[in-house]
Amino acid sequence: MTEPRQPGELRLGRHSFAPPQLLVMAIVNRTPDSFYRPGITWDESAAMDRVHEVVAEGADIVDIGGVPAAPGAEVGAAEEIRRTAGFVAAVRAAYPELIISSDTWRHEVGREVCAAGADLLNDSWGGFDTRLAEVAAEFGAGLVCAHTGPQQPRTRPFRVSYPDVLADVLDQTLAQARRAVAAGVDPGRIVIDPAHDFGKNTWHSLEVTRRLDEMTATGWPVLVSLSNKDFVGETLNVPPEERVTGTLASTAICAWHGARIYRVHQVRQTRQVLDMVSAIRGDRPPARAVRGLA
Amino acid sequence: MITAAALCPAPPLLAREVTGGDPVLPELREACLAAVGALLRTGPEVVAVVGPAARTGTWDGASRLDLGIYAPAAGHGGTPDLPPSLGLGALLLDQAGYTGRRLLQGAGRSAEASACAGTGEELARRPERTALLVMADGSARRSRRAPGALDERSAGFDAGVEQAVRSGDLAALSKVDQALAAELMATGWPAWQVLAGALRWTRPAAEVLYSGDPFGVAYLVAVLTVTPA
Repeated sequence: MTEPRQPGELRLGRHSFAPPQLLVMAIVNRTPDSFYRPGITWDESAAMDRVHEVVAEGADIVDIGGVPAAPGAEVGAAEEIRRTAGFVAAVRAAYPELIISSDTWRHEVGREVCAAGADLLNDSWGGFDTRLAEVAAEFGAGLVCAHTGPQQPRTRPFRVSYPDVLADVLDQTLAQARRAVAAGVDPGRIVIDPAHDFGKNTWHSLEVTRRLDEMTATGWPVLVSLSNKDFVGETLNVPPEERVTGTLASTAICAWHGARIYRVHQVRQTRQVLDMVSAIRGDRPPARAVRGLA
Repeated sequence: MITAAALCPAPPLLAREVTGGDPVLPELREACLAAVGALLRTGPEVVAVVGPAARTGTWDGASRLDLGIYAPAAGHGGTPDLPPSLGLGALLLDQAGYTGRRLLQGAGRSAEASACAGTGEELARRPERTALLVMADGSARRSRRAPGALDERSAGFDAGVEQAVRSGDLAALSKVDQALAAELMATGWPAWQVLAGALRWTRPAAEVLYSGDPFGVAYLVAVLTVTPA
C-alpha cells in the first residue's frame, strides 16, 4: 500500500514548498447556490474583490469553482467554463504569482482553465473523469486526488459504509495518484485529499480526521477541505454560519497530523491556527518571544 | 593583570535563537558585541567570564549554553548545569570569534561581598593578560510590567550602579546593599562585587554603550579600560 513518494517538496505553479510550510487555499465560488454564504461571489466583480481580500489575508492559493458540490440545478461543462475560465484569466492577470486552483471534475473544463492560467486541478470528485489527469499532465499542472467512496458527482452519501474508512481513503487516493503519475503528471504536483463529507457520514469524517496521520505517513502531500462542512455542523449541532469554531478545531488536528493544504472560507483565522500549531510542533518559531526572557 | 573589563547584561533574549521571528533587541546584542570586541582588542591571553551563579566556582572553559533550557524546540545541546549568565557570556565570545582561553567564574548569589571581591582580586593577580567579561543585570522591577512589577526604589538603585561604572569609581559598587539588590531582583550584585575586587587598584576609563530597561529589567553595557600603571 505504501506508495513511492518521499515526503518532500510540493510544487505548485512556479513555487515549491518544503514540508513544514502549511498552505491556505481560499474558496472563491462562481456559483449562485453553494452551501456557505450562497451567491456571495456569483458576481464577477464581487469574486475579484474576494480574491483581493483573501490575498491580503495571506491566502497562498485560490480555488475557483463553478459548480456546487450538492445536488441542484444542472450546470453543464459549457456553463462551468463560462463561469470559471474567464475569471481564472482575470485573476492570473491581476496576480501573476498567485497559485490558482480550479475546483472541477471535468477534463473539458480543466483544459480551458489551464489554458487560462490555472496551476492546480482540484478534482473533488475523485477521478470520476479519468481524462482530467491527462489534462494536468499536458499543461504541467498539479492534481488533487480525492476520496469520494462510491459517490458520483453532485450526489449526497446514502447509507454509505466501510469496513475501514481510512483504508478505503488510502486505496482510492493512492490508486488515483498512481494513475496520475502514469498519465504523466509530475509526482511533485500531486496532492491527496480524504474529502471530508464526500461519500462519508459524520462518523467517517471524524475517523478520517482522527487518523489523518496515517494518510500523511504515505509521504504524499495531504489537502483537507473542512470548512464549515456538515460533519462539523452535525458534531456541534450548528447551522453553516456557526461552524467556524468547529472548523478551526478540526484544522488544528489536521495540522498536528501533518496536512499541508487547507481549503477554507476563513483565511485569516485559519492562518492563525496553522501558525499556532506549527509553533507547537516546533516547525515555526513564535513571532516574538520575550515573556520570561528579559 | 587585568587588561579591561566589559559589562553586559545576561537576559536569555541575548540569544537570538530564543526570541522567535522578531530579533526583539538587536541594539542590545550589538552593544554587547561591541563591548566584547573592545575587550578582545586589548589582546588578552585569557578571558574570564564572570556571572552570578548558584554557588561560587569555576566551570570548564569549553562549556556552552544549552539553549534548549529556554526554547526546547531549538534542541538541547551544551552544558546542562552551566549557569546561564556564564553561558551567555560564552555565547558572546563565540559570536565575537574568540577562540582563545576562557575561564568561567561563577559568583555565588548568596556569597558575602568580601568573598566576591576576593574572587576578583584573585583574577587580578593572575600572571596572564586577563580580560573580564562581567555578566550582570540591574533591577528587574523597573516598571509596572517588569518581571518583578514596579518598585519605586529601583530607578535610584540602578542610577547609582550606572554612575559608579561611568565614573570608574568601582569602590562605590562594593557599597551596593546586598539585601536591597535582592529585593529589587538585581541579580548582577555578586558579579559587580567581583568586578570591584578585580579593578580595586585601578581607576578605569568607562564608556557606556547601552543603558535601558525596555522590559523592566535594567540593562547596562559598558567597557572599562584599564591604563597600565
